[in-house]
Amino acid sequence: MRARTDAQMRTEILPEKVQGTAPSFWARLRRDPIAFASLVFIIVVVVLAAVGPSLYSALASADLKDFRTYDYQDYANINSWPSAVHWLGADALGRDTLTRLLLGLRVSLAVAAFVQIINISLGATLGLLAGTLGGLVDFIVSRLADMLFAFPGLLLAILVSAVFGQAAQDLAGDIGRLLLVSGALALVSWPLMSRYVRAQTLSIREREYVLAARSIGTGERGIMWRHILPNVSGLIITAATLDISSVILSESVLSLLGLGIQAPGSSLGIMITQAIPGLKLNPFQVFVPSAMLTLLVLAFSFLGDGIRDALDPQTR
Amino acid sequence: MPPPHVSNRTMLQIILKRLGSLVFVLFSLTFITFLVGHLAPGDPIQGLLGNRHDPVRYAQLKHEYGLDLPIYEQYISYVGGLLHGDLGKSYKYAGRPVSDILKSGVPVSFELGIVALLMSALVGIPAGVLAALNRNRWPDRSIMFVMIALFSIPSFVLIPILRYFNFMAYDAGLPSLPVAGWGTPAQWVMPVFVLSAASAGYITRLTRSTMLDVLRQDYIRTAQSKGLPERIILVRHALRNGLLPVITVLGPSAAFVVTGAFVVESIFSIPGIGFLAVQSIGQRDYPVIQATTLLLGMAVVLMNLLTDVLYTFLDPRISLR
Repeated sequence: MRARTDAQMRTEILPEKVQGTAPSFWARLRRDPIAFASLVFIIVVVVLAAVGPSLYSALASADLKDFRTYDYQDYANINSWPSAVHWLGADALGRDTLTRLLLGLRVSLAVAAFVQIINISLGATLGLLAGTLGGLVDFIVSRLADMLFAFPGLLLAILVSAVFGQAAQDLAGDIGRLLLVSGALALVSWPLMSRYVRAQTLSIREREYVLAARSIGTGERGIMWRHILPNVSGLIITAATLDISSVILSESVLSLLGLGIQAPGSSLGIMITQAIPGLKLNPFQVFVPSAMLTLLVLAFSFLGDGIRDALDPQTR
Repeated sequence: MPPPHVSNRTMLQIILKRLGSLVFVLFSLTFITFLVGHLAPGDPIQGLLGNRHDPVRYAQLKHEYGLDLPIYEQYISYVGGLLHGDLGKSYKYAGRPVSDILKSGVPVSFELGIVALLMSALVGIPAGVLAALNRNRWPDRSIMFVMIALFSIPSFVLIPILRYFNFMAYDAGLPSLPVAGWGTPAQWVMPVFVLSAASAGYITRLTRSTMLDVLRQDYIRTAQSKGLPERIILVRHALRNGLLPVITVLGPSAAFVVTGAFVVESIFSIPGIGFLAVQSIGQRDYPVIQATTLLLGMAVVLMNLLTDVLYTFLDPRISLR
């Protein structure tokens, strides 16, 4: 006779109220004002970065449309303060700050997304496999992660994007650069993710409910999908969200060192570096990208903390 | 001589284990750096020759750079060279050793890094202790607010803020600081502040939490109940144990400083190895950035080693790790 599925067992054993953790997770996240505000802020920023640039230029009258592109130089408004034409002013080359800010956000968010895709699909998967399969797989994954851990901070990302930057640019232009930067940053991110997931997997494997599942004949694969994965997914989401804030910062550092998107393209890091010489003339041009960057980084780290607390109320 | 609380056997095991992981870390650093350089696009020898087509000189240079050897021999000779302080040869200037290019930068970066580390400990430890002693009162709240801000504000956002205040001071006729360069003590202030900000925040947080842990311990209550003066409890019982874990931040702090050095040296035009490396990227002189990565990586490895050694000697409970 085939063993009953977990879903059947759950409906038989558990009272109705306990079923499904999703609503209580959202309820808990909503009750955390800082995390919830951060989530709303992030959604607004993502929407703005996606549709903002075209909306902003569409709002301009026909003769001003050109003024609101990332590389148009409006010589009459160099280092200008906010005005009807340039809502957030213009930089030292007369380029519209709001457009550049929105495109810079696009870069930051795109890199963050790419890195997390790699981070989860590579780092989390390898961690899960290493924790479940053990043996040789575990040894190889762990040593590989250890090797990458030998490089402190952003050192490896700087090295990789410096050496391959020009080739990526020649191959696929700005997209190539972005992908390279994302890959380089993912190289720094995934070992940590895989280490977290591996540790959590190892600890879950020893729990009694896994033993119970095994004793009713659930195979290794079933245990991985049904018991371990759902229990590490919270950790994966939390770690990825927290990692986004450091990735956004790191991308800015790489841009600042000239390793990210190249001029005349825009990114928050480039905007800040290029505005620093004109700081005395127009501090607003430094303030806008700096404030945006800081808020975005804080929002992701508050959201990550909020998700962690909402998933596991015991940590509070 | 090992301290009396650690038996010779465990001491030996610890040392062997540490040595093993040290060798592994050094292998990883050199191997990955070598691999990245090996995979670098373009033919460096043709790059050196420019547009000239000169098969004889080409073969000569290729041999001189060791690029005619099989890859494993290249790696071995790379590591062998490193052991002799040879960081490779420039791809930009034929035959010029990389160490020649970086030589002037090493002491500058070293100075900047060490001063920044010292500053972050000198600020972070007292701030953390003060915060813990005044837990949840205003000194704690204000210290932690400032320190968490310093920890979270990225260095390149901190720099314009500092410079702006500096400009305002200049305009108001107050004493102000130079915004770039390296040499005079006044030129040190801003870069050191920026570079130590993050690790100072980190050290403060750690010091505060370990001190709070220690202050909750039974032996502190015992000391209080037997009527020892607060000052003696603090110095003899709390600080000794509370500050021990703080040593472990040396390693992570060094990592902060290493990444920060690239940014700070670039923005403040400080001629350290980070600055030189960033310049070499534009010239596609990859061995320079490779060597810089290695040097900075090794600096952090040494710092971690120092931390481990100090900790093993200072904490009797660690002997079985």
